[in-house]
Amino acid sequence: MKRPWQIASIIFVLVSIFVLIHSFSYPYKDRLGPGPGFFPFWMSIITGLLSLGLFLQTTFAESESGEKKTFFPKRDGAIRIAAVLVSLTFVMVFMNSLGFRLSLLIFLFFLPLLLGVRNWIVISILAIAGSFGVFHVFYFWLKLPLPIGIFGI
Amino acid sequence: METLQYWIQGFSVATLPINLLFALIGCVLGTLIGVLPGLGPAAGTAILIPITFSLEPISAIIMLAAIYYGAMYGGTITSVLVNVPGEAASVITCFDGYQMAKQGRGGPALGIAAIGSFVGGTFATFALMVVSLPLASFALRFGPPEVFALLVVGLSLVTGLAGRSLLAALVMTFFGLLLAMIGMDPVRGAPRFTFGIQDLYDGVGFIPVVMGLFGVGEILLSMEQPVLEIIKTKLTDLWPSRKEWGVSAGAIGRGTIIGFFLGLIPGIGAIIPTFMAYVVEKKVSKHPEKFGTGVIEGVASPETANNSYANAAMVPLLTLGIPGSPTLAVLMGAFIIHGLTPGPFLFKERPDVVWGLIASLYMGNVILLILNLPLVGFWAKLLEIRYQYLYPGILLFCILGAYSLNQSVFDVLLMVLFGVLGYVFRKVDWPLAPTILALILGPMMERSLRTSLEMSGGDLWILFQRPISAVLLVIGAIILLTSAIRLMPMWARKESKD
Repeated sequence: MKRPWQIASIIFVLVSIFVLIHSFSYPYKDRLGPGPGFFPFWMSIITGLLSLGLFLQTTFAESESGEKKTFFPKRDGAIRIAAVLVSLTFVMVFMNSLGFRLSLLIFLFFLPLLLGVRNWIVISILAIAGSFGVFHVFYFWLKLPLPIGIFGI
Repeated sequence: METLQYWIQGFSVATLPINLLFALIGCVLGTLIGVLPGLGPAAGTAILIPITFSLEPISAIIMLAAIYYGAMYGGTITSVLVNVPGEAASVITCFDGYQMAKQGRGGPALGIAAIGSFVGGTFATFALMVVSLPLASFALRFGPPEVFALLVVGLSLVTGLAGRSLLAALVMTFFGLLLAMIGMDPVRGAPRFTFGIQDLYDGVGFIPVVMGLFGVGEILLSMEQPVLEIIKTKLTDLWPSRKEWGVSAGAIGRGTIIGFFLGLIPGIGAIIPTFMAYVVEKKVSKHPEKFGTGVIEGVASPETANNSYANAAMVPLLTLGIPGSPTLAVLMGAFIIHGLTPGPFLFKERPDVVWGLIASLYMGNVILLILNLPLVGFWAKLLEIRYQYLYPGILLFCILGAYSLNQSVFDVLLMVLFGVLGYVFRKVDWPLAPTILALILGPMMERSLRTSLEMSGGDLWILFQRPISAVLLVIGAIILLTSAIRLMPMWARKESKD
């Protein structure tokens, strides 16, 4: 796991530099005391130093040959992860336009399919219960505002 | 006398039928969360916050607290039956609980865990009732420097005890503090790091972050794993034998004390008390070599410590406003959503809520015992649900929970982004708890530091001139220093293994 640690540390160093540069757009001090830029300035410096330290520690730590852990998942696992992320992205993009019920109906119908379920009856029942059923409980009973789409569903 | 009046007030609130009903619902949902893989107590509690929007604050808090300690017990079931801890605190229970299940003694293991949890939780609640008022009165004397120093100690503990690399834990803590700066400046009210995005004016909501890091992230990681094999164990006889009772009684007593005292320390987390209870039990045992092979004390003590800790951890939350774990941070968020601020002032402003909640913990412990002993077979059945059905369902409630916070898809986006981050951080084994606690405590920390500096005209020495804050800062430094020393050789050894 040496390389992922190094990459993650460097990303945090870059984030710290970004925050530090951005902190200059807020006053460090005002007439009452420390201003809105005070905390971001110091926090970004400390985060940057810690991340750099972690990078150096990871880079120069002794590494013996032994069992290797891999960062990336195997093909099957990667496909399942991608299926979840694509399904979630679909909901994010279409929830407002299609409405909660329709977008979640599609989500709950296709995600189990993508995960390998082929029992159409169970999938259909769960998709309808999870979309229309959950909407009914939360919208009508618990009075929680949920999006209604262009089709009025 | 005053305390007694508060106790009576608390019980009159907690025993209202509606509050008893919500405690029951919370215990059921909590146990369910603890049992189901892919959903820890922090994410589970966060997801269920929207359900409470239309409730009275006290009913909502009672239900969410019940979810919290219900999940603590639910995690035991998976530890014993499938060797997979439902939540981190149940890791130790796997050692002997799973071995007992393999020997056909899963019933007594779950039975003693339920009874130990009841004893530990009830004792800790009683102690919470006794110590909380004096502690809250003492905390009222705290000024901004003391508050800042206390937050430093809390974050130092979470950081120092998390993970295998102190530097990685520190980076994660500061990552949380950086995230906390997004939104309105907590002192002057000016927007910062919002980049013109209106949804960021209220800051990065920590509820979607918790759901992402602990819920979606866990599900993504689980997608890599093969399907779990479930042990079919006979759960007809839950009651331990006379001999098992004999060895468990002392273990329950010791677990209660250890869990309670460690629960008082903000930021220590649930793993340390359970681990310590197990180690102590092994030390006092006449047969330490049998630990790990299925001895009932190895289940009784850590499980008792777990629930004793869970109830005692309410002390720093209620009296100081400092959550000791991600789940308690979510609970603190629920307080805030319902217009209540945990801390010493809450005892003065809303004694009905504070004492009602404390009294409800007793009710919850009784409910959990009643619920878990006869229903353990039902909970075990839930483990047979296939993940292809389970995870879409959990994700549905994650989406619903995130959206309903502000009726905004932006929060769903935040949840998914932090889900991916949670997956990556789990893969590289960087701790997530410090980020969550830093995110929720960050604004409070910045406010107290800047107000302290305003008081002193910019002189940082004010933090060391006041005795309480000076002592607390020294404690914080010692915690980090000892963690650094403890982890140095371990880091090198572990890294080399990779």
